[in-house]
Formats: sequence, structure tokens, C-alpha cells
Amino acid sequence: MKANREWIIKGIALAVWIGILISSGIAFAQHRQYKETVVLGEGVTQVKTLGDYFEPIKGTTNDCNIYILDSGVPGGTLLIMAAVHAEEPATNLAAQLIVENAGVTTGRVLVAIHENRSASTVTRPGDAYPQFYTVKTEWGEKKFRMGDRWANPLDSWPDPETYVHYPSGQMLAYMDTRNMNRTWPGRANGSLAEQTSYAFMRLIEQENVSLTIDLHEAELEYPIIGTIVAHQGALNVAAMASMMLTAQEFPIGMEISPLALHGLSHREIGDYSNSPCILLESPEPFLDRVRGVTDEALLLTGKDEFVMKAGEKGLLYWPIDENGWSIDIRVARHVRTVEKLTELWTRFHADTAMVFSGLPSYEEMVDNGVGHYFTDPATVSANRLAFE
Amino acid sequence: MYAHAWIVLGVMAAVFAAARLFKLTTELSMLAAAIGGAIAHGGLISPRHIADGAFTYFDVTLIFITATFFMNLLKHAGGVDYIIRGIINRFHKHRALSLLFLTLVMLVPGALTGSGSVTVLVVGALVGTVLTYMGISKDRVAAIIFLCAAMSAAAPPINLWAMMAAAGSNMPYVGFFLPLGVISVLGALFSMFFLGWKGTPVQLDKVMAELPAPAKGMAGWKVLLPFVVFFGLVLAGRIWPWNMPTLGLPLMFMVAAAVTLLTSPKRLPIFKVARETVEGLLPLIGVMVVVGILVQVMALSGARGLISLGVVTLPLPIIFASLWLILPASEGLVQYAAAPLLGVPLILLFNMNGINPIMALAGMAVMFPIGDMLPPTTVVGRATTMTIGFTGSYYNGFVKRCLIPAAFILLLGTLYIVFGNELSFLVAG
Repeated sequence: MKANREWIIKGIALAVWIGILISSGIAFAQHRQYKETVVLGEGVTQVKTLGDYFEPIKGTTNDCNIYILDSGVPGGTLLIMAAVHAEEPATNLAAQLIVENAGVTTGRVLVAIHENRSASTVTRPGDAYPQFYTVKTEWGEKKFRMGDRWANPLDSWPDPETYVHYPSGQMLAYMDTRNMNRTWPGRANGSLAEQTSYAFMRLIEQENVSLTIDLHEAELEYPIIGTIVAHQGALNVAAMASMMLTAQEFPIGMEISPLALHGLSHREIGDYSNSPCILLESPEPFLDRVRGVTDEALLLTGKDEFVMKAGEKGLLYWPIDENGWSIDIRVARHVRTVEKLTELWTRFHADTAMVFSGLPSYEEMVDNGVGHYFTDPATVSANRLAFE
Repeated sequence: MYAHAWIVLGVMAAVFAAARLFKLTTELSMLAAAIGGAIAHGGLISPRHIADGAFTYFDVTLIFITATFFMNLLKHAGGVDYIIRGIINRFHKHRALSLLFLTLVMLVPGALTGSGSVTVLVVGALVGTVLTYMGISKDRVAAIIFLCAAMSAAAPPINLWAMMAAAGSNMPYVGFFLPLGVISVLGALFSMFFLGWKGTPVQLDKVMAELPAPAKGMAGWKVLLPFVVFFGLVLAGRIWPWNMPTLGLPLMFMVAAAVTLLTSPKRLPIFKVARETVEGLLPLIGVMVVVGILVQVMALSGARGLISLGVVTLPLPIIFASLWLILPASEGLVQYAAAPLLGVPLILLFNMNGINPIMALAGMAVMFPIGDMLPPTTVVGRATTMTIGFTGSYYNGFVKRCLIPAAFILLLGTLYIVFGNELSFLVAG
């Protein structure tokens, strides 16, 4: 009798567990296979993929789209990379907003919306991230994948005992072999993230990129926040942008890329190519460890009582109040900083000038919301759509 | 938000306590608490949160399963008997050297697997026998075995508390080798010498008769070779990182296990050892899986944030003065779950206050395992007394004997945290 009861309990437990596995398996597969729809703005003249610059990446999860906005007027080339850390959604949205809305009147702009696409196909176990987030638009809701800091273990596993950065030899945490902002300048036969970095370096080389901008977000507990981090090759541009934006639009700091920290885009891209790199950080309370309920609302509004309390106790490196840090403000900061950096780059480097047109102002983006700038995919022809 | 998080936390605590009252195991009680918390958060949550959370410590779990399989194969091959017989044969006239080498032998299994239970199961009985024939009373022997097992779990390279807390803090598990090595070796040596120094000369004949006879054909190199291969692979990955294929620690342990199979003087029952390994580790695997689910639900509901906020807003002097009590007590209550729940916000707090986070985490990571003898779980403590055959009072005999060395270890851990910056020269590799 007792043995029968035990088998019944075990059977029920097994059935429940199988049910959970099937249900979660479907959820994971749907997340991994979901494609974000991108409407190609008038400025987009061509869409390549990363694999066009480094064959081994072709057809892999990280063979991301490269959107080319070519003015046809000789000048420089700007590369914008977003969502290297796919848990930082303002970067993805800022890049998509640029692709859908920007025009270019001098030089070229290249945009990678999902720099480390693999990282956008998984969320972090133990952190309860939502798998998707939606942005309200005038024509309905636009849905995006939430991701993680590291590439998906399904694409890159196992991790080494210790990750040794190439070529500096600096030892880093084992999982950082999947963190694309620790794998620059990359390795042709390395891990997926190393190969992706290597592919981007080939892109920078082959497209003769003049300036690279890498978009990020950070928790308020992290000291590098609300700032521009610049390679020494672009210090004048970054310093001037910081001063002008702080004086006229919103506060943003400026820091020099440390010489001794390796693997970071703002250090290695400038050191191993002719393109200096600038990294932007906007504040994302969703990433703070002291955050309250982990949900889509926090991701989009950036409002959190617990994070505010930590701020009151002087435990944060960036201010926060009851208004939080909305996705609209964070996207607006990125888009405006990119535009300002490009404007200043052109002022300092007339031979590699790059001029944007058609981008909304900071106030417009904050007032209208980021969704206002996304076009309904149903209203454009299929050949003006791309999928991320 | 505060009220919501408090309610979720309260429900989780109540469900956990009720489950324990109904004699459910720690891991099932924690699973019940997680489900209770999820319901309190807002009804049934998406099942993918359960699966997502369950995989939080997947890599760590693979590491200690493969490491324990390797150690169990070595034990079945007669390697452990051979080493312990060798130590006693050679050093039985030198009590200090005997104690020293027995301590080092005790440290190896836990250092490689991250589990004190594995140390007790692999070498506990053998070392216990030797210590008994050195004239040490049973309660002291049990205390020595437990404390050395606790320090072995804390010893590098695998310290599960530090790995879990580091993973939760986005902090690389790099630079811990010396900080953890120094403090765990000091703690183990103090425990061994404080409790084992007084006794009688070793009764060599009786010890040798009592210890299992070594397998015919066993030799020192056969015991050492698997370790040489394992550490060789680790070093090769660091010396030639761009030429070596990425193996990962689990495969490295399996390679060491394969070498053990090849060098064993007798045919080893691989599948039997594998089955016993998994069966023996099932409670620990269960805890690791369920802790991930618990953490996921707490993060989802804001309960984790509430605990983190509570910890990081406490004044530092209060933290310093109470960690020696809080960390072992929380380990006794929820085992490894204590590391992500308390360890992560504490790391954040220390980091914000300019205290070296690696030293602070190393200090905390030796304090947690002391709690493995405390109620309600008492996992490693009970395993020790059963393995040694100690029949006296658990608390008045065994736990009481542990108190002074445990206090010494807790003091060392506290000093590591308070003087983390001054001791940061230890941080390397």
C-alpha cells in the first residue's frame, strides 16, 4: 500500500515536471525564434550581414544584419553597434529608431541592431527577466526580445576554466568568453563572441569605418553610468559632446578608456583598427540588484521604490526619483548623443565628415515616446522589411 | 511595493516552516516555499520561470557531479587507502607531521568538489580510524572530520558559496585561489592540531590492521597521475589558451576519472560508482536546482530586492559584528541558498564601501560551511557523526567540541572582511 502511494506520488511529480519542461521548452523556443520586424527607413540603401565580412559567421546565430545608410556624398563612415548586452533594451530601440528614421547627407552610417544576436535569444537564469517587451505605437504594439549579457550557452558551451583574453593574455571570468564586450578585437577561431568581434573588426577594416559607437546601459549601482567612455583617438569629440549636451540638453559625463583593461570595445577597436571607439552608457534601474518586482513595467518605466531608497542612502552612482528612467528618455539620450558625437566628429575631421538628417530632437523623443517613431510594417512593401 | 514584497517573503517563510514541520526535506521545503511565493506574487507564474531558475547553477552542478565521480573512482581503486596508509607508515613517530598530512588529505576531495559531504564520505572514515588510534576521543575525531570537511568545501579551486555569490554579483570568480587557500588551510590546521594534538602514540599495528588493505599493484604514481592530468589540463588552458580546445571543468574531471580507470590496479565498476555518486549527491543536486528556482521567484516578486535593500542599508559595524552568527545560521537554515540571498547584497555593500570584494567574499565563503552542523538541516554534521560512528550527544558532545575551532575560523573570516583592503595582496590568479 505504502509502496503504491510512493509510486503514485512519483508518477504525479514526473508528470508535473514533464508538463513544466514541455511548456517552458515551447516558451524558450518561441523566444529564440521570434523575429523583430524592422522597417527600412528611406535612408537605408543596403542591408548586408556580418557574415559578408567574415565567412565563418555566415549562417550562425550571430550573422546579424548590417544596415547601410549611404548618402552618396563622399565622407566618413560611422558604425553604430547596439545590444551587445541584449539586456540593455534602450540600445536596441535607439538603433532601430535610427534605421527607421535617419537620413544621411554626407558619408555613410552602418548600424548593427543586434551586435551579439545570440545573447538576445536567452534571458538570465535566476534573474526572472521577461522574455519580451512591447512598445506602444500609434498603430499598435511593437514587440522585442529581451536578452542577456552573455551569448546563449546553446550557441557557445562549455566555458573554459578561465577565460584568457586574446591577445593581451589578461585573465577574466570564465563566462566572459561569451560576453562580447570582453572579446575585442576577437579571434578567428575562438568562441562565438570572439569570432563575432573578429568579424566586426573585419567589417571596420573593409568598410574603412572612421568612428565606432557602442551603445550600452548600466545599473545605477555601477560607477560607469550616464557617461561617454572614449578611446584616446576620440577624446576631443567625446569631451566636447559631454560639455555641450550637459550644458544644453541633459547631463552626461565623459571618461577615458582605461589602458590596462582589455577586451572592451572602447579600448581594443581603437587600438587594433583605424577607427576610434566611443561607448555610451544610459541608466537602467531594471539591472540593479536591489530592484523590486522584475517585470516589463520596470524595464520600460525605470521606476522602482527599492532603487530609489538605495539612492536616498547614497548607495548609487546616478540619481533617481519617482519619475524613474523611462525607456523614452534612455533612447533619446542615446540617439541625441550619437548625433552630437557625429556632428562634432565632422567639425574636427572634415575629410571624414558624416551628417545625419531626419532624427527627432531629444524633447520630441521624450514627449512623443519612442513608439511614435516606429512605422507600421503592414504599410510598407515586403522588400522594405528586415528581420532581427 | 514594500507591502507586496513583505507578503511574498512572509508566505515563503511560512510555507518553508510548515513544510519542515511536515518533515519534508530541505530541498522540497524550499521548492514549496518558491511555489508559495510565486502564488502570493500573483497566482500561477509561467512555468518557464521554474525551468529557468532550475538551470541557474547547472554548470556548477555538473562540476561537482563529475568531480565527485572522479574522487569516488579513486577511492574504489584503493588510492585513498594507499595514501593514508603511506602517511601513517612513514610519519607515525611524528605526530605533528601525521596530523599535517592527514589535514592535507582531508582538504583535497572538498577542494575539488566544493562539497564537505564528499570529503566525509571519501576520506572521513579512514582518517577517523587513524585519529582514533592516535588516542583521540570520538567526539574530538568527529569534530576534526567535520571542521576539516567544512574547510575542504571552502578551499579552492571549487568553493560553491563564492561561485554562487560571485555569479549573482556579476563578479568574476577569479583571484580567489590564495585568499580561500590561506584561510581554509589555516582553519583546517587549527582544528586538527587544537583537537588532535593531545593523545597517545600511534598504534601502528592496530591502525594497519583496521585500515583496508591497499589494492595489489597500487603505487604512488598511480594515485598522483589523475591529479597531474587534471591540473595539467587546467594549467594548459591558461598557458596555451588559444591553442587548447575549450574543455570545461566537467570534462577535465571526466578525463581525470578516465585516467583513474586506466591506472587502477583492479577493474572498477564504472556504472555502479556513477550510480552511487549521483545517488549520494542527489540531496545536494536537489538543493542547487531548487535554490535557483527560489532565487528566480524571489527576483520576480521583489522579495530578493527587499532582502538586498535590507542588507545594504544596514550600518557596517552591525554587519561586521553579526556576520559570524548570521552566515552559519543561514547556512543551517537554507544551505547553499544563503550564498545568493545574503552573499550577493553583502558583496554589493562591501564593494560600495570600498572593501575589497574578493577578500570579503572569501571571508564569508569560509563562514558559511560552519553552519552545516547547525539545525534545522545539520547535513554534514550528521553525515560526520554517522560515518565516524559517534554515538554521544550531537549538540552537547559533537557540536560543543567544534565550538572553539569554529570560533577561530569565524574570527578569521571576519578579519578577512574588516581588513580586506590590507590583505588584498593575497588576491591573485
